Amino acid sequence: MIQVDANKCLGCFACSNICPNQFITREEEEGKRRTIRWSKCKEECDICVEFCPAKALTLIPYSDSTPEVIEVSFDLVPCEVCKKGFATEPLLKRIRETVPSNLQTDSTGRSWVEICPFCRRELEAEMASKQVVQSRRK
Amino acid sequence: MMRVYVDINRCIGCRSCEVACKRVHGGKGHVNVHISEDRASVPLFCHHCEEAACTMACYSGALTKDGERTSFSLDKCTGCGLCRLACPFGVVWTDKLAHKCDLCAPNETPTCVLTCPAQALSNDYELALKRARARAGRATILGGKR
Amino acid sequence: MSKSLVSTICPYCAAGCGFYVAVEKGRATGIEYMLEHPANEGSLCPKGNAALEVVYSEDRLLYPMKRNGNEWSRISWDEALKLVSKGLGRTIKNSGPDFAGFLSSSKCTNEENYLIQKLARSLGSRNVDNCARLCHAPSVVGLNRTLGAAGMTNPIPDLANSKCIFVIGSNLAENHAILSRWIHRAKDRGAQVIVADPRLTHTAWLADLFLQLKPGTDVALLNAMMKVIIDEDLVDKAFISKSTKGFEDLVKAVKDYTPEKAAEITGVPAKDIVKVARMYAKSPASAILYSMGITQHTTGTDNVQSVANLALITGQIGKEGTGVLPLRGHNNVQGACDMGALAEFYPGYRKSDDPETAKFFGQTWDTISLPVGRGLTATEMIDAACNGELKAMYIVGEDPANSDPWSSHVKDCLENLDFLVVQDIFMTATAQLADVVLPAASWAEKEGTYTSTERRVQWSNRALEPPGEAKSDLEIVCMVAKSMGLNFDYPDAASVLAEINRLVPTYKGITRERLGIGGLIWPCPSTDHPGTPILHSAGFKLQDGRALIAPVQYKPAAEDTGTEYPLILTTGRIAVHFNAGSMTRRSPSLMERAPNLFVEINPEDAAPLRINDGDSVEVTTERGTTTALARVTDSVKQGVVFMPFHYPGTNFLTTDARDAEAKIPEFKVAACNIVRRD
Repeated sequence: MIQVDANKCLGCFACSNICPNQFITREEEEGKRRTIRWSKCKEECDICVEFCPAKALTLIPYSDSTPEVIEVSFDLVPCEVCKKGFATEPLLKRIRETVPSNLQTDSTGRSWVEICPFCRRELEAEMASKQVVQSRRK
Repeated sequence: MMRVYVDINRCIGCRSCEVACKRVHGGKGHVNVHISEDRASVPLFCHHCEEAACTMACYSGALTKDGERTSFSLDKCTGCGLCRLACPFGVVWTDKLAHKCDLCAPNETPTCVLTCPAQALSNDYELALKRARARAGRATILGGKR
Repeated sequence: MSKSLVSTICPYCAAGCGFYVAVEKGRATGIEYMLEHPANEGSLCPKGNAALEVVYSEDRLLYPMKRNGNEWSRISWDEALKLVSKGLGRTIKNSGPDFAGFLSSSKCTNEENYLIQKLARSLGSRNVDNCARLCHAPSVVGLNRTLGAAGMTNPIPDLANSKCIFVIGSNLAENHAILSRWIHRAKDRGAQVIVADPRLTHTAWLADLFLQLKPGTDVALLNAMMKVIIDEDLVDKAFISKSTKGFEDLVKAVKDYTPEKAAEITGVPAKDIVKVARMYAKSPASAILYSMGITQHTTGTDNVQSVANLALITGQIGKEGTGVLPLRGHNNVQGACDMGALAEFYPGYRKSDDPETAKFFGQTWDTISLPVGRGLTATEMIDAACNGELKAMYIVGEDPANSDPWSSHVKDCLENLDFLVVQDIFMTATAQLADVVLPAASWAEKEGTYTSTERRVQWSNRALEPPGEAKSDLEIVCMVAKSMGLNFDYPDAASVLAEINRLVPTYKGITRERLGIGGLIWPCPSTDHPGTPILHSAGFKLQDGRALIAPVQYKPAAEDTGTEYPLILTTGRIAVHFNAGSMTRRSPSLMERAPNLFVEINPEDAAPLRINDGDSVEVTTERGTTTALARVTDSVKQGVVFMPFHYPGTNFLTTDARDAEAKIPEFKVAACNIVRRD
């Protein structure tokens, strides 16, 4: 069965998507908090272990004394623009680590990592259409 | 394969590209039209960046660079969502698994380009260049006025 | 798997775009673009792209039904036909044929429209009409009078040849989206675009000059433009003297419409009025595109005549890149009118009050004596239903309960009928009021011709079988006719088209064999004629070959604002929906993009009412009240609010004040107030 290293867990969607027996679920209070739950499982398939991007999961022998459900919760980091929580801090940290720092800012020098995808699109649209909007404002 | 170029001057904000993209991709569209200040509209989709942040964040090998195109293999995707957070433009979507503009490969011309009523979308680099030059030319002649 | 591509014509608007329905094992699996189509070149708006969602909607009517109180029960076709022939027959026998009314569908084929008006008139009723009454009736009346023909004078691709495109009262970027590509081509070649609209629409984004006029003031604007053109000697004297009559009366009529006076009435700056007049008159090829902003007024016919006047005094007609271009709504509203499904016309625009017309058609239609005289229009039929002058109605593919103004009144009137049969693909609000509902085939499940706004007649093929027991409207109308003792023996649409070829001169050469991709543009008077893309290039089909310049005076809209209703409510359309929404509101891809009724309100109006963007508000007029979501935007001027009419609710509010001649309601102007719902 599964052991979770809560310090490594990113709060992503991989294991909850991938578990063939749906023993892993996730719950989200939209814009606020995300919780991932691993139910005690007797399977030895290790698919979730293999596909965890953070290697936070390990397979340990089944025992009656371990808890029925393991839970890890994250507060969602609010988007700088719309203030709605959109990602866990470990996920954003991972992005900052894997994307070169010179790519982490847009042409105006603003960091986009702490902005949610919807607002990123809005900003892109705004920047791309600036001239056209101006010329149409008489 | 070229990416799709947008001429914002021509876009009429009809959202046909959105509906068509969704239709040919089994209900998962990857174009989003954003309206700016009620004066212009911009269809947004994968830029197929040379330095693609999504491919850097992807740990499963689902997202890779294939020449000019940022390529996505569904069978390698775990649906983790890292790519969605890594895209600076917010144009990678996840719906269980990831999806983004695939330039409608293997078709020669992307569906959005074919369907755009205003011909605002094009995968013809030469045309995009020609239009940009014409706009600059007109702007110069009119002295910045319409 | 073998896939076949069936060429069809889009069921939505009158742009007449072609596309292929991909069919595998009897099921539509997708859409392929028709790159070779002359008008759309393969492109499609969002509605066309989503068209198949209508075909497979769960809401499709599958079998005939009859109403018992508030319950519906399924019946057989035999029983349905018995009920229909009894219901219509009883009224005709006991009260008279003019107590029966027929609403034909501007979504049905030419063949179906032809048969419906033939059915009505063969039964002795003069009351047949279609929803053109709600949209371009003023064009039918006004352009027939001034130019001798009612239809777009130049084809859509010809816009690329224009040097000055004047769009007034049309939001074509959203409603006839494919026209944009031709306008862009014109602009690439140096054309200037002027847009006149109370709202700063997506179409206005394309404008070099935008005139934000007050709703209902078009005649003031157009007359002032004509005064400038006359005063500055920019008229086309040769054209006027050779091809028109009535110019001197116009000079007198517009004498007092100075730009300053027009500016006061319209809210458009005087200098812009002068500018647009000069731009339009001086350009070597100017075209006027117009739609509901011109027609849906109590002065609709006047407005249309003013548009024609402007083109006539400048000679901007009959040549490439010019023209008077009414942008029609439904895929076959042009055809429905051509086929005479109109109170004042028989097929081919022969007048219904002319005994010669009745004689002409009587000769071919089983030699019965046909009724003479103008019947009730669609809008008048509603009133007649209320006061007992109409007792039975047969409504095909139309939804007056949602489309007509003052919905509560419409509902009362239709409920007052002794018998109502509705034939449709969905249980619309109108069908809900019927005694019998007949399930019809969608466009992809039948064949026939449709005439687009550019007078292009195109054949659309059957790609699929209708679901359940639904049948093509052609089949149903023939069955109804037979059940009432008429000999409607038409095995297919082609046989009806052959009859149309014989009786409608402009369609004479438009035979089944000649209709390939792109169809033929009428007039097409013989089987070796190529069709007539540009009208009036060799004079006008009116008395002595001259167009009529018909001067008009500005009259304000029927309803004015006051203390109780201080805001002007104007209505219109958005790109992802179509008309009353019976199809698009059942299309998930379209609904998810525009699920809710909204009202656009200027920030200056919203602020004192404490209304913020996204708030739920109540909009009220004398006729009713409805809820909508507020959209605070500067696209509308202070004092004007806008609501799309695709959702039930907008027409609770609109007025049924009508144009005296064309009988079109003034959808574009009502007085309202708005309050925030707390």
